[in-house]
Amino acid sequence: MKIEKVVVLGANGTMGAGSAEVFAAGGCHVTCLARSADKAAEGIETAKNMAKSEEIADRMSAGSYDADLERSVADADLVFEALAEDLPLKKTFFARIDAVRRPESLVATVSSGLSIAAMAADRSESFRKNFLGIHLFNPANVIVGTEVIPHDGTDPALVPAVVEMMERRFGRVITLCRDMPAFAGNRVGFKVLNEVAQLAGEHGVAFMDYLIGPQTGRAMSPLSTVDLVGWDVHKAIIDNVYENTADEAHATFAMPAYMAKLIAAGHLGNKTPKLGGFYRRVKEDGKNVSLVLDPATGEYQHPAQVAVPRLPFVEKMRSLHSLGCYEEAMQAFLAAEGPEADLARKVVLGYVSYGLNRVGDGEVVREPRDVDLIMGFGFNWAPPTVLVDVMGLKPTTAAIEKAGLPVPKVLRDAKPGAPLFREPHVNIGRFFAA
Amino acid sequence: MTTPTYVLGGYQTDFGRNWKKENKHIVAMMRESVRGAFEATGVDPKDVEVGHVGNFAAELYAMQGHLGAFLVDLDPAFAGLPTARHEAACASGSIAILAAGAELEAGRYDLALVCGVEQMKTVDPARGGDFLGTAAWYDREAKGIEFPFPKLFGRLGDEYDKRYGLKDEHLAHISAVNYSNAKRNPLAQTRTWYMNEDHACRTDKFNSLIGGRIKISDCSQVTDGATAIFLASEKYAAAYAKRRGIDLASLPKILGWGHHTAHIAFDDKVAESAKNPYILPHTRATVLDAFKRAGVADCWGVDAIETHDCFTTSEYMAIDHFGLTAPGESWKAIEDGTIEMGGKLPINPSGGLIGAGHPVGATGTRQVLDAYKQVTNTAGDYQVDGAKRVATLNIGGSGTTSVSFVVGY
Repeated sequence: MKIEKVVVLGANGTMGAGSAEVFAAGGCHVTCLARSADKAAEGIETAKNMAKSEEIADRMSAGSYDADLERSVADADLVFEALAEDLPLKKTFFARIDAVRRPESLVATVSSGLSIAAMAADRSESFRKNFLGIHLFNPANVIVGTEVIPHDGTDPALVPAVVEMMERRFGRVITLCRDMPAFAGNRVGFKVLNEVAQLAGEHGVAFMDYLIGPQTGRAMSPLSTVDLVGWDVHKAIIDNVYENTADEAHATFAMPAYMAKLIAAGHLGNKTPKLGGFYRRVKEDGKNVSLVLDPATGEYQHPAQVAVPRLPFVEKMRSLHSLGCYEEAMQAFLAAEGPEADLARKVVLGYVSYGLNRVGDGEVVREPRDVDLIMGFGFNWAPPTVLVDVMGLKPTTAAIEKAGLPVPKVLRDAKPGAPLFREPHVNIGRFFAA
Repeated sequence: MTTPTYVLGGYQTDFGRNWKKENKHIVAMMRESVRGAFEATGVDPKDVEVGHVGNFAAELYAMQGHLGAFLVDLDPAFAGLPTARHEAACASGSIAILAAGAELEAGRYDLALVCGVEQMKTVDPARGGDFLGTAAWYDREAKGIEFPFPKLFGRLGDEYDKRYGLKDEHLAHISAVNYSNAKRNPLAQTRTWYMNEDHACRTDKFNSLIGGRIKISDCSQVTDGATAIFLASEKYAAAYAKRRGIDLASLPKILGWGHHTAHIAFDDKVAESAKNPYILPHTRATVLDAFKRAGVADCWGVDAIETHDCFTTSEYMAIDHFGLTAPGESWKAIEDGTIEMGGKLPINPSGGLIGAGHPVGATGTRQVLDAYKQVTNTAGDYQVDGAKRVATLNIGGSGTTSVSFVVGY
């Protein structure tokens, strides 16, 4: 597949600028388009800062939709759409692209979960055949996990070529997904994030972030992650899944009422620093302090007021992780007793169960590897099969059953003793932080 | 060598990781590399008779000395294992290998574990640069100087310039080749970083000068990492090969080694070599010793080189010191593509220190592990086709301690 000229739409946005950086770093010439050329130039500045290079801009140019879209799209090998997650808006632009693109050019969307088929509806046969989703994660130059999502009308021969190009030329780790709401990474990831947000209504924000913290196999605590992603993005993803799927964990995608209320009041997480999200960062005597949301009242409390009593099993896990004893830490997790350990296992084993249940016929991905890679390299979370390997197949399966969760077919069919995660160059220790 | 030392393989941690962010103790890095080495080789922990650790400055970076003792913590079978830690700045890992090899040759033991390790991302760059200054003559060459080592290796470039002429574009090409190779190495620190020759040629806010002629793109970066390898006597290697159903002859050996130490102060080194065509004659002697002991006539008797490119100037020096060109003519091997993948003698297929990373005490062991991967045809996407012999060069300080190995058949 020969891609030399790329046009990025929405290049002033986070994903647009990040995508432009990825394609320019791979040696393509990238035309960055936005409402105005000045806005597009802001995207190029962002890309330069991501690459830490002035030189990368030698292969980038800025333009506006009005003046440059038709001309640049007519000449492009790849048109990459990174507009807002707004289906009618995207469709308006796809109609313009369809009118001028070369018949063999590739058209892709970076959408994080809207229907690829719906975006391609009403388009020409040529457009539909050459259209698919390429879902990069933010920041795209650092997070290499990427989903490729064909729709029913995508030319089947195109898909392996796109996967190979994204892997070899652009250094991506690819998960091939079916065109289902939120695809694989966000479907599985936001199931966990929203479940933790729901539980925070009852157990508190600080407690849940402590209980499901880095020691359970993630770089960042769940509610801090939601603040980083933005509550608006969180809501868009879980609402989309809640409305358009009906699976065994449907209820975990219901937006907590306290979050809906705060979003209406403008609380969107880190992007609204004055209001905050689960946390609100303030300066106190020159020092940074993270105030913590009380979901019951919508007020923010000083961390000292909501200090969480340390739990022995969590501290034991952290200590073992800090020494590099990941299996021992996660086995201690399975063995821990008490309601807090039960609650933590419900969430973490729920992730394993839900993630691996998305594998198979009629599901989001074909192989466990697909869900593993996007969780590992899109979310920086321990992939589901890594958790099974370190906790042991039989004990994990038994614990999933005990927690009242469905045991995935992948685990029922697995042979004891053989590791499920087989990526020789991946250090599994990287997924467990103390 | 009087009796052969076999390399059974080992394990490298992902040099892109930041272990402080993971909130981990340095023992975690050692544990991952050693457990990984057991898994990769199938060696039984009970068979290990001695352990050697290469580490430069854990006392400074991690407030922890006595790293040899931490090996004992890594496996129940290691209780009572004789261990030691070795320090020779950036050559610490190779010195640990030499120590292990000497014990195997002497017949004291049959199986040695060598673990190189360094955790460096624990402090800010300025403080880390000061710590690295202790690899030079600290009071004379580093105290109160911001980033002393880029300045010292900038002066190596200046010395080339003075004696033979040196173009910075050749240094930029060295950087671009190492970054490009690193993109094919799944454990390389910079595998996702942006770099090319045009960027490396520029001096701007993203690629500023940090020590004389040395720019950011000329430098290896601050890296956390560990590498563990197993070295064995012929007796153990034969039993190991039999157990695994492979030929003893399929196991590579350390065919030769060289080891010399020059004056620690850079000025003294330059003064000593004023009338010598080689700027670092003891480094040249190190390479020649390794070739001689390996029975290799010259550099064209090896298929690839893993060299010490802490800065582009150190690789520039290695090119003529290995003998790819006449002294002062390293630029010829850069211009004609000799050192690139697919070239006549690829240098740093792994990406080297600039591309793969430079966790100081782990670099020597990483080089020998990469040499092992090359000659056993297990280097994956950065494999040099048909490699049977690979030379390494590991340097501590400003060209002070030099160690070279030839690994292969």
